[in-house]
Amino acid sequence: MTRPFAPARFAPARAAGAFVPDLLLENVEVLAPDGRPILRVARLEAPAGTALGIRGPSGAGKSTLLHVVAGLLPVASGRVMWGDADLAAMTEPALDAFRRARLGLIFQDFLLFEELSAQQNAAIAAAWAPARDRAAIRARAEALLDRFGAPGDRDVASMSGGERQRVSAARALACDPAAILADEPTASLDRENADRLAGDLLAMAREAGRTLIAVSHDPALIASMDRVVQVVDGEVRG
Amino acid sequence: MIAALETAWHDASPAMQDALRLALLLVPALVTGAVTLRGQAPGPLVRALLLRFRWTNLLFAGLMALSVGLGVALIAQERAIREGSARAADPFDILVAAPGDEIGLMLSAVYLQPASAPLLGGDVLDRLQRDDRLTLIAPLAFGDSHAGAPVVGTTAAFLDRIGGPLAEGRVWETAHEAVIGARSPLALGDEIAPAHGAGFSADPQAHDGAHLTVVGRMAPTGGPWDRAVVAPVEFVWAVHGLADGHAPGADRLGPPFDADHFPGTPAFVISTRTLAGAYAARARHTDATSMAFFPGATLSRLHLLLGDLREAMSLMALAAQGLAAAGVLGGLVALTRLFARRFALLRALGAPRRFVLAVVWAYAATLMGAGAVLGLAVGAVGAEALAGLVSARTDLALSAGIGWAEAHLAAAVFSLTTVLALVPALAAYRRSPALDLRAG
Repeated sequence: MTRPFAPARFAPARAAGAFVPDLLLENVEVLAPDGRPILRVARLEAPAGTALGIRGPSGAGKSTLLHVVAGLLPVASGRVMWGDADLAAMTEPALDAFRRARLGLIFQDFLLFEELSAQQNAAIAAAWAPARDRAAIRARAEALLDRFGAPGDRDVASMSGGERQRVSAARALACDPAAILADEPTASLDRENADRLAGDLLAMAREAGRTLIAVSHDPALIASMDRVVQVVDGEVRG
Repeated sequence: MIAALETAWHDASPAMQDALRLALLLVPALVTGAVTLRGQAPGPLVRALLLRFRWTNLLFAGLMALSVGLGVALIAQERAIREGSARAADPFDILVAAPGDEIGLMLSAVYLQPASAPLLGGDVLDRLQRDDRLTLIAPLAFGDSHAGAPVVGTTAAFLDRIGGPLAEGRVWETAHEAVIGARSPLALGDEIAPAHGAGFSADPQAHDGAHLTVVGRMAPTGGPWDRAVVAPVEFVWAVHGLADGHAPGADRLGPPFDADHFPGTPAFVISTRTLAGAYAARARHTDATSMAFFPGATLSRLHLLLGDLREAMSLMALAAQGLAAAGVLGGLVALTRLFARRFALLRALGAPRRFVLAVVWAYAATLMGAGAVLGLAVGAVGAEALAGLVSARTDLALSAGIGWAEAHLAAAVFSLTTVLALVPALAAYRRSPALDLRAG
């Protein structure tokens, strides 16, 4: 089941069972600014709802692959298809709209705004969303913080790493994305917090049929994924 | 259409024109803000930036405030000096003096600045006293002092003209009584011995034995006369060993004076009933032996000079503001780079580039706006402090409040800097989120 991406149809509160596109990368090549190839993907598929793990040595190109999948890095050639939408052919505003509508991102070092509360961080997307959608995003962020057990009224500056990453996860999910892209989400956490976060992410993905793509060195997280690919020297294998 | 607008503009009151100018000056800022912020709600992130770099932000806003305050203080001070000096010259309709330096004579007569001046003799007095269109003829005799304050000889009529009804006491009744200015440290009943001359060259022994008793205090005039000791002109002549302006045996003070026994005076203040009469009197009493001039007109020429000076200083203040704004904007470009990863994250979450532009612009505009508003306050305080210093030196009562001109300056700086705030905003707008995300 595929359907073309239409930014205008974006709604922050995705109805249960709503459309989640398949991911397909084909003949993708990414070049460094000096023209040197840094990533080649002959073919990579992730059907909707897949939990895909990406592993590999440091500097192999895992984060580059994730950025390509998110439409953050332009490709020199090939196709990056989410359903019928080819990110490689989109303009920057269309890519922004696509990420708003479909993707939620989580990073190793959280990248939270320390001067804001957990609630304000989790609902940050309300700041650029249309006025009519802002209340729904805030409500959803609050519900997610509750679910993840992160106190919404506290400044994130006073939170532990585990709490911060839960706020970051709530932020990624506040717009009810079709796919969650996580770059080393457990790398800054202790074992207990890492396991808890991995469990939460997988549960949140599976409950709504979301695709989860996680770059990780964490064997426990990788082991819990449906499928794992390896990136070595800029080549995707497996 | 344009003609109708011009007519409406000319029909508007000065306050309305000033308000419209202020609004027009703010238009660039409002338009830039409306276009940049449309559909965005950057408030929480702007707050985050303001808190994150709070000390640097304070420094930047303070720098802007100082540069705006400098301009505001200069404009306010110049206006205060202009108004204060004009107010002090108000009672002096026409000055008659020996032909020569109008400005020097005006400074001596109106602002009581010590200077020597040739004396006008009985022939000029006679001509003035025969001019029945004059309503006031008051000789001014200056050059003496007491404890640094000028001692001026004149008539009771001019005393009334310059200060109105006395604040306390009474007008002199004898040649050895005096009235003091509103800010004189002397008290009623004090007895003083005037010195010959003023400043370092004052000779306290020259008028040995001469004394004055203070019997009254003038209401404030807002000028140097507020510190003066004003005595009957006959006293000043007498202590200099001259005739007292009256025929021997005439035991009286004030006009009319006897031209045959008139010892001379550096200046007369004269008045007429009408403005037209004043122009006619000026013409009638300007010849080879005397010049009549309007101190107000002479002051205007000085103000023109002051205006040129103000323009030069305003240019310097503008340059200072420009440098401060450039420094602050450069600093903001550097500061926002520290936030580059978080902005990249916003982009990764789907924020349009325009949102990042809105955040950085609103942040920079907030600092600039705070600087402009604070600058008005700094300027007001600075102008008051400067006014105090200038008042102490000139005895002019200066009121250096904030007016439309200062508000216009602050609005112009605000508008210009909010447009320039697009520079750091565009710098952040153009950054690649993928590169910034990897930079950590």
